[in-house]
Amino acid sequence: METADLLALLDGQQFRRLRVIENLLREKKTVSTLYWGQRYRLLYLMGLAKKLPRGALDAPARALEQQGLVVAGETADQIKLTPAGLTAQRNVNYYRSQTAKDWGQVNLMAIRERILLAVQVVSQYAHSTKRYYPLATALETRQAVRRWFYQVKGPNLSEQMFTSLQNSLIQLPEPVAEVVTRLFSGYQQPGQTAAQLAQDRQCTSWEILLMQLDGVMQIAQDAQKQSQPLTKLLQPMWQSPVSRSAQQTLAAVGQGRSLEQIVAVRGIKASTVREHLLEAAILLPIKDFPYDEILTPTIRQTFATALTGPIDDWQYTALPEAVQARYAFFYFRLYAIWTDKRGEQDA
Amino acid sequence: MLEPLTTSLEKVFGFHDFRTGQQAALTALEAGQDTLAVLPTGAGKTLIYQLYGYRHPGCVLIISPLLSLMNDQVNRMHMAGFRQAAAINSLTSYVERQEIQRHLRDYQFLFMSPEMLAQPQMLAQVKQLPLSLLVIDEAHCIVQWGPDFRPEYLLLGAIRTQLNHPLTLMLTATAGTTTRQEIAKQLRSQPTIVAESVDRPNIYLDVEQLDTEPAKQERLTALVDQLQGPGVIYFSSKQQASDTALRLQQQTGRRVAAYHAGLSSEDRFKIQQQFMASQLDVICATSAFGMGIDKNDVRYVIHYHLPADFESYAQEIGRAGRDGLPSVAILLYVSGDEQLPLMLGQLNRPEADTIHRYYARPQAFNEDDAAIALLGFYRRHGISEAAVIQLFSRRERERNRALAQMLAYVREPHCLRHNWLQAFDEQSRPHDEQCCSPAGMPLDLMRLGLRATPQKAPTDVAEDWVARLRQLF
Repeated sequence: METADLLALLDGQQFRRLRVIENLLREKKTVSTLYWGQRYRLLYLMGLAKKLPRGALDAPARALEQQGLVVAGETADQIKLTPAGLTAQRNVNYYRSQTAKDWGQVNLMAIRERILLAVQVVSQYAHSTKRYYPLATALETRQAVRRWFYQVKGPNLSEQMFTSLQNSLIQLPEPVAEVVTRLFSGYQQPGQTAAQLAQDRQCTSWEILLMQLDGVMQIAQDAQKQSQPLTKLLQPMWQSPVSRSAQQTLAAVGQGRSLEQIVAVRGIKASTVREHLLEAAILLPIKDFPYDEILTPTIRQTFATALTGPIDDWQYTALPEAVQARYAFFYFRLYAIWTDKRGEQDA
Repeated sequence: MLEPLTTSLEKVFGFHDFRTGQQAALTALEAGQDTLAVLPTGAGKTLIYQLYGYRHPGCVLIISPLLSLMNDQVNRMHMAGFRQAAAINSLTSYVERQEIQRHLRDYQFLFMSPEMLAQPQMLAQVKQLPLSLLVIDEAHCIVQWGPDFRPEYLLLGAIRTQLNHPLTLMLTATAGTTTRQEIAKQLRSQPTIVAESVDRPNIYLDVEQLDTEPAKQERLTALVDQLQGPGVIYFSSKQQASDTALRLQQQTGRRVAAYHAGLSSEDRFKIQQQFMASQLDVICATSAFGMGIDKNDVRYVIHYHLPADFESYAQEIGRAGRDGLPSVAILLYVSGDEQLPLMLGQLNRPEADTIHRYYARPQAFNEDDAAIALLGFYRRHGISEAAVIQLFSRRERERNRALAQMLAYVREPHCLRHNWLQAFDEQSRPHDEQCCSPAGMPLDLMRLGLRATPQKAPTDVAEDWVARLRQLF
């Protein structure tokens, strides 16, 4: 990540913690990371750079600070844009993803890998090459693509692949289609690296990735809508953003069980149940979470009285002691999520 | 009765003749003798165990220290038509490792890092396998002391004993007499030695001494500008490889890319393939680059930094001129350059005092530190403090000796080739003008036929994305 990439993720009002952004990129799914990811509207970053080294954002942040574009908050880890930073952010022609809001519904980086390998395999097949270096991917991807290829291969496969990819990419802005195809590897086309494209286009490698992911998402959505060669390969990659275990906890709440009952029935700790529910509340649309069952009118009333001002300024420890004694942090956080989602809905 | 070796060669690879060294190594192995094959880069060492594996039932287990390149090796096996090949090392994901371990018996070729094989559970599993051949790749790593050093290589002798002394093939591109003896000793074997000269007569050797770092950069630019490509430039630092790639691209207009272990595997794949497809003129690389590159027409290899020893130097310049045509290996040197390899070596070397304190209270140290991790390794394997101190000082002496050898090469006034081959206990042919130019002597690219001919700028046909997509399918 370069300074321009970090600049695009910051805000003029809200102090944002570098560690949260880093954890999102590295897919460290703690409730705290998820909550702040939601508050920053940056949840789409989840898992986009799993191998990002710890502290990788510190240098770009320092550079922004030296340029007077950001200021640090209470701790050096929290930063927000200065007026100059805000102007810089508005003026710079930075790529904005078109499909990011849907990225949580799929295992995006795995889809990306599957598409890249599938394109290579079919391209080599179209030119009757049997011996070539396959792209290095996770074993899971290799196996899935291999199984898929034996199912779909046939005389029409390459033509169908061409047509469906063309149909997907044509819906995207020309430069995005250009980037997506230039990143493909196949017969006699090694493909360009993101860094090479970034250099050609005078943008950052991260922007190239965002463009590619828009392309990947478009291809995945089209394959989902209409049957085409890639449909079978990508279908299993659509997933609930919520972990399986959290889904089970959620289902138990849906069956009318209390938190205590869930602890007993599922044999998990009470803290785990609460984490599951917070995770689900953050990641699911407001209508898909049973707020009414957990946040009773009394609870809402109590918090509504005690908590005023911007959500980010709310502090559990600043609540009256009687409220703290009555309601655990879990309810406080869930109330904040609910309020946030309602605000998002109204907006 | 097995078919003749040449029949197998023809069947599997479609070749009629072996390259030098391959047949001798195979013959020794077929006679049941452990074999140490010292064959120059590009001699086709892989073919030896591929063919042996083809001819004999059981599993060929290949121990290789090159983690990031192991998957390349597996891909090369697949390319050669050997489907049943897999690699396990610390970069292998948990799921993938489980999957491979479940099917361990099905593999004809297994690549493993020494540290993986040293794990008791893995070793127990491997013991159950019918091993036809144990291969120790890059066997010089047993004695080499550098960033690549794997202490686990020192366990291989014991592991070999535990595996009941399977037939063993030790492979390396470069090893002088001392190194050969040390490899044999560490592996507890008395191998038949099959050695070919490290000399590559078609590679002209050149050393150039520059006064300052900027002068060195300038000279590099001039060389890239003048030299007939394709070429590879080696650096000791990833950052410098990346920065220089960018700078050279801007200054010379050549197509340049960086290649190092810091890149994603996807990017490494693409850069390699672009280079193979002649879509790149120059690679700015670290030592991570080399394996898996079957590019025969590399015309020059430049070393921007001083290599730590002759072994690595020989390996790296060996990438040039595999087609037998005139090529050049240039080493650029500024006084003081030896500080970098010295420093890189010291990074992993704990002081005697640290060793003492560590042995007194190991739990007080953090093994995230490479040097401490190394100490932890020795301690866990029951090596005493005194022995470790001795080991480190011996290693350091060896390193310093290796570096001194490199420096002597840089300062060699008469014949670089003579100096170089002497280090491998070899004689050189008489010096002539096709041989080398030590520091201070001019490099005449025109006479060597390595001067770039004025070329038309690479025509990047401005195709649109649809045409590009069309070409793929």
